Amino acid sequence: MQIRSIYTASLLSALMLSGAAQAEYSAADEIKVLQGFKAGGGSDTLAQLTQPFLRELLGVEFINEYMPGATGAIAWTRLTHQSPKDGSVISITNTPMLMTNYIMNDAINYSIDQLTPIANVVTDPGIIVVPANSPYQTVEDFLAAAEERPGQITVANSGVGGDDFFSTIMIEKATGLSFQKVPFQGDGPSATAALGSKVDASFNNLGNVFGHIQSGSLRPLAVFTRERLDILPDVPTMLEKDIDVVAGSSRGYSAPADIPDEARDELIAAFEALKENDEFQKTAEERAMVLDIQTGDDYGQMMQDMEGQFEEIWADVKDEVNE
Amino acid sequence: MDNLVLVGLTNVMSFTNIALILGGTLLGLFVGAMPGLSATMALALLLPLTFGMDPASGLSMLASLYVGASYGGSIAAILLKTPGTPSAAATVLDGFPLSQQGQAGRALGVSLFASFIGGLLSGIALLTAAPLLGVLVLKFGPIELFAIAVLGITIIGSLSQGSVISGLLSGTLGLLLSTVGMDLITGTPRMTFDVINLFSGIEFTVALIGLFSIPQALILIENAHGAQKVASKITDRLIPPLAEIRRLLPNIFRSSGIGIITGLIPGTGGDTASWFAYNEAKRFAKDKSRFGKGDIAGVAAPEAANNAVVGGALIPTIALGIPGSSSTAILLGALMVQGILPGPNLLTDYGDVTYTLIWAVIFANIGLLLVGLLFTRLCVSVTRVPDSFVACSIITLCVIGAFAINNSLFEVGLMLGFGLFGYWMNKAGVSPAPMVIGLILGPVMETSYQQSMLIGQGNLSIFLTSPIAVVLLCIAALSVLQATPFFRWVRAAMRPRTQTE
Repeated sequence: MQIRSIYTASLLSALMLSGAAQAEYSAADEIKVLQGFKAGGGSDTLAQLTQPFLRELLGVEFINEYMPGATGAIAWTRLTHQSPKDGSVISITNTPMLMTNYIMNDAINYSIDQLTPIANVVTDPGIIVVPANSPYQTVEDFLAAAEERPGQITVANSGVGGDDFFSTIMIEKATGLSFQKVPFQGDGPSATAALGSKVDASFNNLGNVFGHIQSGSLRPLAVFTRERLDILPDVPTMLEKDIDVVAGSSRGYSAPADIPDEARDELIAAFEALKENDEFQKTAEERAMVLDIQTGDDYGQMMQDMEGQFEEIWADVKDEVNE
Repeated sequence: MDNLVLVGLTNVMSFTNIALILGGTLLGLFVGAMPGLSATMALALLLPLTFGMDPASGLSMLASLYVGASYGGSIAAILLKTPGTPSAAATVLDGFPLSQQGQAGRALGVSLFASFIGGLLSGIALLTAAPLLGVLVLKFGPIELFAIAVLGITIIGSLSQGSVISGLLSGTLGLLLSTVGMDLITGTPRMTFDVINLFSGIEFTVALIGLFSIPQALILIENAHGAQKVASKITDRLIPPLAEIRRLLPNIFRSSGIGIITGLIPGTGGDTASWFAYNEAKRFAKDKSRFGKGDIAGVAAPEAANNAVVGGALIPTIALGIPGSSSTAILLGALMVQGILPGPNLLTDYGDVTYTLIWAVIFANIGLLLVGLLFTRLCVSVTRVPDSFVACSIITLCVIGAFAINNSLFEVGLMLGFGLFGYWMNKAGVSPAPMVIGLILGPVMETSYQQSMLIGQGNLSIFLTSPIAVVLLCIAALSVLQATPFFRWVRAAMRPRTQTE
C-alpha cells in the first residue's frame, strides 16, 4: 500500500512533468468500456463526463459497449468471466447494484472478488423528498407520523435491490419504525409518484430531484450524507438526527481481477489526476454530478463495506420481501 | 413567456437548424422504413453525435428524427407487410391489403398526410398546452395506470381477426410471456430458468420483430418461385385527392386526439396509441367489414395517432421532466447531457432551448411532408428487388435490429424463436397482434396492480377512490360485456318488452 502510493505519486509527478497529454497507457491502444445500461442513462452520462479527460491523460481511445439487462449483471458477468485480463476491457460499476445483484439472486455468479476496483467517480447522495403539499415539514414530523401509524406511511423507492430500497430498510432498522415500501421502475417514476401525491414520500437521489426541489414542487426532508450539502444548506443529514444512515448511488470504473499491476497503476494514476483537474471539476459541477473520487484500494474497501452491509440487511429481510 | 416562444422560433429559423431538421427527418424516414430499427434505437444511436452541438441544434435533430421515423414505419408496413417501427404494426392490417390491390400510392399518401396533420396538431398542442396539460400527468398514479392497462387489454377481443377464441389465446400467451423476468415488487426472478439474459424480461421489440417480420420473410421465400410478387409497387398517385382527405378528417382529428392523450400518459407510446386509434376508427366506421381488407381509414387512424404521440409525449417531458415514452426518455437524456436538469424549470430557466425544441417538432412535421413527398418513392425501390432478396434483407435487418437493441446475441436467438412461432401462428390462422398487446400491457398492469395494493394496504376498494380509474374501469367492463352473449341476451330481452309497450 505504502509502496504503491509512492509509486503513484512518482507516476503523477512524471505525468505533470511531461504534460498531461503525453502519458501512454502500456496495456492497450484502445480500452473497451462495458456498460450494463442503455445508452443515454446514468452510466453513459458518467462515461461522457470522464472519458474525454481520460483519453487526454492516457492517450488511448475509449469504446463504449452497451449491454443492458438484469440491472447490469449481464455486463458485469461478461467483465468478470469472459473478458481478457490485460487491461483492455473495463466496466462502469454501479454500487449498490453491483453487489445486490448477486446477493439477492443465486443465478448471478460474479462477485466483487473477481474485480480490480479502479476508482469511484461520482456519488449521488440519497435524499427523502415529500410532495409540496405534504403535512410533513421536517424529518421529525415524518418519523413521528410513521411511529403513530406503523406500516401505513407509503414510501416510494427505485426498485427492490436499488440504493433507495436499502436505505429505507436501514432507516427502519435504525429507528425501529416500519414504512410501506412501494417499488417503482427507477428513480424517475418514484419521484413522479411523490410529485402527484400518490405516495407520502419518495426515497430518491439528489441529482434526480434537484430540479423539482428548486422549483418548489418537492420538499427535501433529509439527506443521507456525512455532512450537509453546499447546494442544500438547510436540509439536515440523518446523522444529525442520530440515525446512522449514509447512502447513495455511486458509479465508478473497475477492471477484471488479475490485470497487470502496471495497467492498474496507470489507470489509478489517471483518476488521481482528475482530482486535481479544475476543468474536470467544473464540467462535473455544470452537469450537476457530485464528485466522490476514491481510487484503488479505497474503492475496493468501499465495495467490501457495502457488500457486508447489504448481505446482513438482505439476510434479515428476504423472507419478509418474498412472503 | 411570449418572448421565449419567439426566441425559440428565431433559433429554429437558422440555416444550420433547418438543415439539421431536414436531415434528421430524412434519416428518420429511412430508419423508420427499415423493419426492426425503431425510433428509440435510432435516437440512442444518434445521441452521441449531438454532444458536440449546441443544445438547440442537437435537440432539433433528434426531435425531427423521431418525427421522421414515426411516418417512415408505415412505408415498410404498407409495402412489405412488415412494420418498420413498433408503432406502425396497426398500419399493416389495412395498408398491406391496399397495396396488394394496387393502391400503395394512395395508402402511403394518406399515411403521409395523416402523419403530417397528426404531428402538426400535436406540435401545436405542445406549444399551447405544455404548461397547462402537464399538471394532468401527475393525476396518473399506479391506480389510474392499472385502469388504463385493463382497458387496453379489453382491446384484444376486438383486434383478433377471425375467431375470438384464437385471439384470446394469442393475447393470453402474450400476458403469460410478459411475466418472464424479475418480479418488480419482490425482486424474485420468475420463469427465467437461471438464464440471466431473461432477468429483465422479454423485450417486446424483440418479440415484435420476430412475430411480424420473420413469418413474412419465410412466406416470401415460399412463394419466391411463383410469378406472384408480394411486395407491392406504387402505381398510383401519391398525393391523395382533396375530397378523400376531407372525408378522413374527422377520423384523423379523433386519432390525433387519441395520440396526444396516449403520449401524455407515461409508459405508453406510439405502439399503444396506434392500436387504440385503429380500434376506435373501426368502432366509429359504418361498414366494419372492410377493416383488415384494405380500408383507407385503417391506415389514416394509426398513422395520425403515432405521429401525434410525438408532441403528446413531449408535454410531460417538457412540463415536468417526466418522459411520456421511451423515445422522449432519450430526448430527456440529451437535455441532461447538455447540463440542463429536467423539471418544471425547463420552461422558465431554459425556456429558449425548450421552445426551440417545440418549434423544431412543428417544423419537422412540415419538413416531413416535403421529404416524404420527395423520398417515399425512393424508399419504394426496396420493392423492385426480387422476393428472395427482399426476404433475405428482411431477415438480415431483423437480426441487426434485434442485436442492436441490447447488443445481445441472445436476443437474436429469441427473435428467431418468436419468428418461427409467428410462422406457425400464421399457418394456424392465429393473429400475433393480441400477443404483442399482452406483452406490452402485461407488465404495466401487473406492476401498477401490485403498487396499488401496497398503497391501499391490500384493500381492493383503493380502485374506487380515484374517479379517473372508476370511469376507465367502467368503460372496460362495458367493452367486455358488449362482446359476450349476455349483452345480446339483455338486448333481445329488452326489445320485445319495448315493442309490447
